[in-house]
Amino acid sequence: MDSFRKKFIEEATELIDKLEVALLDLEKNPEDETLVQQVFRIMHTLKGNSAMFGFELIDNFTHNLETIYDQIRNNELELSKPILDVTFACVDHLKSMLDEQNYNDPDFKTIHSGLVEKIDAIINPQKPEGKVESNSKPEAKGVTSTYYILFEPNADIFKNGTNPLYLLDELCSLGDYKVFAHFNRVPQIAEINPDECYTYWEVLLATDKDESVIHDVFIFVESDSTLEIQKLGEENLVADQTFIKEVENLAEVQKDVGLVAIQRLAKVAISNINKRKAEKFTKERIAVKDKTASSIRVSSDKLDTLMNLVSELVTTQARLSLFSEQNNIPGLNPIVENVQKLTRQLRDIAFSIVLIPIENLFGRFQRLVRDLSAELNKDVEFIVEGADTELDKTIIENLSDPLMHILRNSMDHGIEEARVRIANGKPAKGKIVLKAFYSGASVIIQVIDDGAGIDPEMIHAKAISKGLVLPDKKMSKKEILDLIFLPGFSTAKKVTDVSGRGVGMDVVRKKIYDIRGEVEVDSEKGIGTTITIKLPLTLSIIDGLLVSINKSPYVVPLSAIDKIYAVEKDKIYNTFNNLITLDGSQIPFFSLRKEFDLEPSNEELEQVIVVNFEDESVGLVVDYVIGEYQAVLKPLGKHYKNHDIFSGATILGDGTVALVMDTNKIIKMFAIGNKE
Amino acid sequence: MDKDNKNQIKSYLTFKLGTEEFAAHVSKVLNILEMTPITKVPKAPEYLKGVINLRGAVLPVIDARIKFGMPEAEYTNNTCIIVLDIDVDGESVHVGAIVDSVQAVVEIDNSQIMPLPTLGSRYKSEFIIGMAKIDDRFVIILNMDAVFSTDDITQIVDADSLEDTVTENNE
Repeated sequence: MDSFRKKFIEEATELIDKLEVALLDLEKNPEDETLVQQVFRIMHTLKGNSAMFGFELIDNFTHNLETIYDQIRNNELELSKPILDVTFACVDHLKSMLDEQNYNDPDFKTIHSGLVEKIDAIINPQKPEGKVESNSKPEAKGVTSTYYILFEPNADIFKNGTNPLYLLDELCSLGDYKVFAHFNRVPQIAEINPDECYTYWEVLLATDKDESVIHDVFIFVESDSTLEIQKLGEENLVADQTFIKEVENLAEVQKDVGLVAIQRLAKVAISNINKRKAEKFTKERIAVKDKTASSIRVSSDKLDTLMNLVSELVTTQARLSLFSEQNNIPGLNPIVENVQKLTRQLRDIAFSIVLIPIENLFGRFQRLVRDLSAELNKDVEFIVEGADTELDKTIIENLSDPLMHILRNSMDHGIEEARVRIANGKPAKGKIVLKAFYSGASVIIQVIDDGAGIDPEMIHAKAISKGLVLPDKKMSKKEILDLIFLPGFSTAKKVTDVSGRGVGMDVVRKKIYDIRGEVEVDSEKGIGTTITIKLPLTLSIIDGLLVSINKSPYVVPLSAIDKIYAVEKDKIYNTFNNLITLDGSQIPFFSLRKEFDLEPSNEELEQVIVVNFEDESVGLVVDYVIGEYQAVLKPLGKHYKNHDIFSGATILGDGTVALVMDTNKIIKMFAIGNKE
Repeated sequence: MDKDNKNQIKSYLTFKLGTEEFAAHVSKVLNILEMTPITKVPKAPEYLKGVINLRGAVLPVIDARIKFGMPEAEYTNNTCIIVLDIDVDGESVHVGAIVDSVQAVVEIDNSQIMPLPTLGSRYKSEFIIGMAKIDDRFVIILNMDAVFSTDDITQIVDADSLEDTVTENNE
């Protein structure tokens, strides 16, 4: 039973998340009926599930909540901000309801009864204004019908002081219309009696009002005019372009359409409409079916096992290739090549399975921004781009906290108050863009705000006052901005409820480092701040370059590598300032043999791998370059947790272990080491 | 295997470092490997010898001599890697320990385990469960979790008494 409950809670959590996303969408597009349907459906599923697993409290609660949206979709209730606010509060409450331990908490009880009352008030409004609203459209039947109206006024209608055009105007105010005025009875100009009416009209009117209302329009002229009102069908035929066109053609040819002809056309049109409706319905059904068939739930344990097995397979396949190379057995090579191909395909698919779109995470932030903008009284437009970008699920899980912190910072310190914004010539409404996109083998996530930006001078002064940097040290703007990531640096002048709770940007950076990511800040004072997070696509595999240093293999991530040069040994060991001229430009370099405390090599030629380091090129000197290698990354274990110049290790085809370098951290470490 | 069962097992694996004989509870020992080439990790603390490939996983290897504050020795045919399952903050971590030689699996009853004499002991008490006498030899029973945890600076020998055994200065 426990495992069922666990399953339920898992599913319910997912449903509640979905509900939240749907509600946020609905808040933006309150007119969208499909969203109301979606909200209702999710609540309904949640209700059904909780009843099935004996969560009665959730069952009852959702039942009432669902009723609101049932009424909305039946047009008995109008969606409003108070309703949405209550619903959001309910969603929060539902989350806490999943944990039964909360049930005895007095706070929980007050919230619960408070929300139940609020829901009740929405479902059964006893206030008078509710009635007024429903009284305002008493004739509304909800169904639109199309009528054919032939109006032939009496020739001396003008003598009664009636203008038939007014009548037509009144008629047309009832709904959609198409008027055909017929002038075929108008005599030659010499014979016209200006006091007489020769014109008659045929009107197609689509309205949700009763036939009697149409009669009421003509109530004063009905007795001495020819009036024919005929219902064509319960559809809005006026909106049907093909039908109108045909009627227009008919009117042109015949000068006069006539009820019989129109009825015939209307019949065809209605059957067409019905056909289309049926098609649309089945299409929707198919779409729903497709969605359910296209994904299945798999426990993440199974996926982890699959990933491990595939990793093993990749390693074993590398061994097989090596074996086949060393032993020239006829017929083995093609098989090995085939296995290699299949393994690669299998690996690609297996790795794509654990990639999930970042959508869910971003959805959560929509809610965060919504709540924060209310709390801080800052109007903010929150734009999400690239929510379909896919990332390893472990990365996404670990990204939540740092991103939340960054967004809170943007909301709290970044976006200014409306009056300040207006004074600075900015739109009163702030803007925060959260976007994700692919860039090579990485995914970039950016949080861009158009707020106050960061003042580098202020940061610098503060860092000096906190003793984080020496006052006389010259620093570039980028270096200064990077100071905000230092532990013990918090720029908030006042501690607010939202940010500045002691968790600084240093924690953000650490968390992102933990998932092999990097974080950068770029800011223009008065214009805004952009925080860029660069992440690997997946944590467990990287494309690398296999190199050797002192006969030990190492893997350098291919994404960091710019170029490789073969350089004579003398050039490297005879330079005292650690600069080397390659392709006409001087770049700093580090000899990895030297930095790893090894003897200089005896080879005449050494390889300089030029890698990107914070927008600069830095050379790393190794003995040999062996070739490209797909490395399955394995952790070095807890014992090496403080030793992060290697992001892990990989097992080569012959069973030896190669260390995978983290070039950024290696360069950082050596650069600091050399300065000291 | 739950905790009670583990405690009921009285088997200990004994191994030697220099002349000293130590014992580890068998529930902590996963495997005993012959010495294999170790991939050195540059810039790591000295006692962390590097990593090896243990059936497709990467296993960190610790030189028990250095960790125990003893001088390093040449590896011989008897040198072994004991693969240990260490509990670090409630998490199971695998680590290899290089020892001079593996002796035997012996039965030690809880009643046989004597507390370490507080005076004159060279070992820090938190790393030692106790001592036992086996065939006239004294064996030191180690708390493997404490000894091989990830803490960089663990030295199981009290610094004051180092001069007794250590001929050259390690760290």
